[in-house]
Amino acid sequence: MTVQKDTERTETKHLHKFADFTQKRVLEIGCGEGRLTWQYAKQAHSTTGVDLDADALRVATIDRPSDLEGRAYFSRAKSEELPFSKETFDRAVLSWSL
Amino acid sequence: MVHALSEIRRVLVPDGILIDLRPILNHWPIEVASASEIHETGRMLDFPPGLADDHAANQSMADAEHKGWFIREQEQFFPFFYSWDSPSELEGWIAGEWHDFIGLDDRTKQETRSVWASADADARVRVKVKMLITRWKVAKES
Repeated sequence: MTVQKDTERTETKHLHKFADFTQKRVLEIGCGEGRLTWQYAKQAHSTTGVDLDADALRVATIDRPSDLEGRAYFSRAKSEELPFSKETFDRAVLSWSL
Repeated sequence: MVHALSEIRRVLVPDGILIDLRPILNHWPIEVASASEIHETGRMLDFPPGLADDHAANQSMADAEHKGWFIREQEQFFPFFYSWDSPSELEGWIAGEWHDFIGLDDRTKQETRSVWASADADARVRVKVKMLITRWKVAKES
């Protein structure tokens, strides 16, 4: 079964209209397989995606472009218990996850 | 959800930005779309659990705003398209992925199949999801 998502790229356009990711430290909650992550990660200083789905995080890690190694990370974590220090990120994205 | 928003506020810098991006149930339209034509064939049925999820999410953000954690700066709705090669693929996706919160009635299924069968060869079936994006700024500690 072939599903295509965001065929008109409206999500990407609105995401960039609402936030500047240039050289920002970004946390994405509910990153899944990284579909949205790849739309802004190259501009960011660093990106950390969290999700509870370990299989999806494995896919995200495998799909990570080589130029994002060392700048895009994925971690299995609950949004209610984020394993990060205070004031670590400039931007947070709730990605279809609230 | 409110606990998650408290955590997000904790890990954001004082002038940090939170983007809340999510679908909102609204009897999403089903369309048969080709390069030359778009034909709406019906609308999704919204089920109570999905509506309850939307309400809970809206309430959580309202609570966070009321507590003075975040300030709402900008908000907009926009369409997001899911697209399949055929009506049967759409029906399979709904049965496998979306059955808890939305559904299709028989009339809409029949209309979608009928329109797709007589449409141009490049026609695909798509669902126009209503998306909400909101930009929240971390509020200064009072």
